[in-house]
Amino acid sequence: MALVAPAPLSRPTPVDVRLRDAVLACIGRFGLAKTTVDDIAREAGCSRATLYRYFDGKPEVVQSALVAEHTRVTAVLIQEGRAARTFADAVVAVVVTAARELRGHDALQFLLTHEPEAILGHLAFGPGDRVLVAAGDAIAPAFDRWLAPEPAARAGEWLARVVRSYVLMPHPPIDFTDARAARPFLEHLVLPGLATAALHESRTP
Amino acid sequence: MDGTRLQVLQGTYDCIVRRGMAKTTVDDIAAASGVSRASIYRLFPGGRDEVLRETVGWEMERFFLRLGAELGDAVDFAEFLERALPLARRELSEHAVLQKVLETEPDRLNALITVQQHRVIGAIAAHFLPLLVRDRDAGVVRDGVDLEQAAEYVARLCLSLIASPGRHDLGDPAEVRRLVHHELLGGLLAA
Repeated sequence: MALVAPAPLSRPTPVDVRLRDAVLACIGRFGLAKTTVDDIAREAGCSRATLYRYFDGKPEVVQSALVAEHTRVTAVLIQEGRAARTFADAVVAVVVTAARELRGHDALQFLLTHEPEAILGHLAFGPGDRVLVAAGDAIAPAFDRWLAPEPAARAGEWLARVVRSYVLMPHPPIDFTDARAARPFLEHLVLPGLATAALHESRTP
Repeated sequence: MDGTRLQVLQGTYDCIVRRGMAKTTVDDIAAASGVSRASIYRLFPGGRDEVLRETVGWEMERFFLRLGAELGDAVDFAEFLERALPLARRELSEHAVLQKVLETEPDRLNALITVQQHRVIGAIAAHFLPLLVRDRDAGVVRDGVDLEQAAEYVARLCLSLIASPGRHDLGDPAEVRRLVHHELLGGLLAA
């Protein structure tokens, strides 16, 4: 009689990851204000008690999800930039990818449409300063094959401005999720300025 | 603009100065503007939210009109921007009502400003376009540049810079010159 080896157990997604995914899914459906701890727990397939073992409450789950999203998207953008053949390709890849991430993000889009005060306060004026500088610093590695760190961060911040203005705001004249539409715009209007502003130093041997 | 509408906007603005946005009611606006509630709702069917939104948009437009008047003309677009950026940044940080509301009720105001941005972007771009046309006629602009698209781009990014300068010190003339000649106009200017 042959012994049948048991099927390998698939590793379950960690609870905190499930909770973060769950809060984003709930916000995408109900918005931030109307999402309750019960909603989050139910979506994550765990109990309220379990949720409270990991997080103090809804704001903490949201904060954790934001940090995780930031980490995730930043990593994707850096990967796209580094995989590009040229600096121009890297700029297009980073902008188009960022636009697609933002446009396809259910939670973000729900908030922009129905609860803009929840988001836009963090993107304008004083807080906007911090977000832009941080964004520039975070995606600078995307350009590290072509630019030294300081010019790379400067370019990153400029592109964050471009994305914020054209992707997050209402009535954009250009669809940055469409690489074919975005490329000529970026290559003609944006790229030359970035290139001349930066110190040209090829980092690849 | 219709005189009554203007009265309502001005009255709302005065209310915001005195009591902030959250505490401004339609009754307050009626009292301050001398316009009846009925007329206010007729002009602004969306009620209080619409009046506040329109008032923010109106003051944003006025801000840039005042700025344009103060800036006057310049030799070329680059010089215009080199003067405009520091001036706009200073005026914005010295705008008493804006700063007060930003301090007390930033979330709501930021949402309104963002939503109304397209109004001022159009106006700013329209102000920039003739300057760009003049530069093109003087041979300063690269061939094939879509001037309208360029004017909008510069308008959007200038607005972004003056609201949140980020790592750029707009009070530093060298930094402003660098921004103008590289990031803002690098794609436009002939080599």
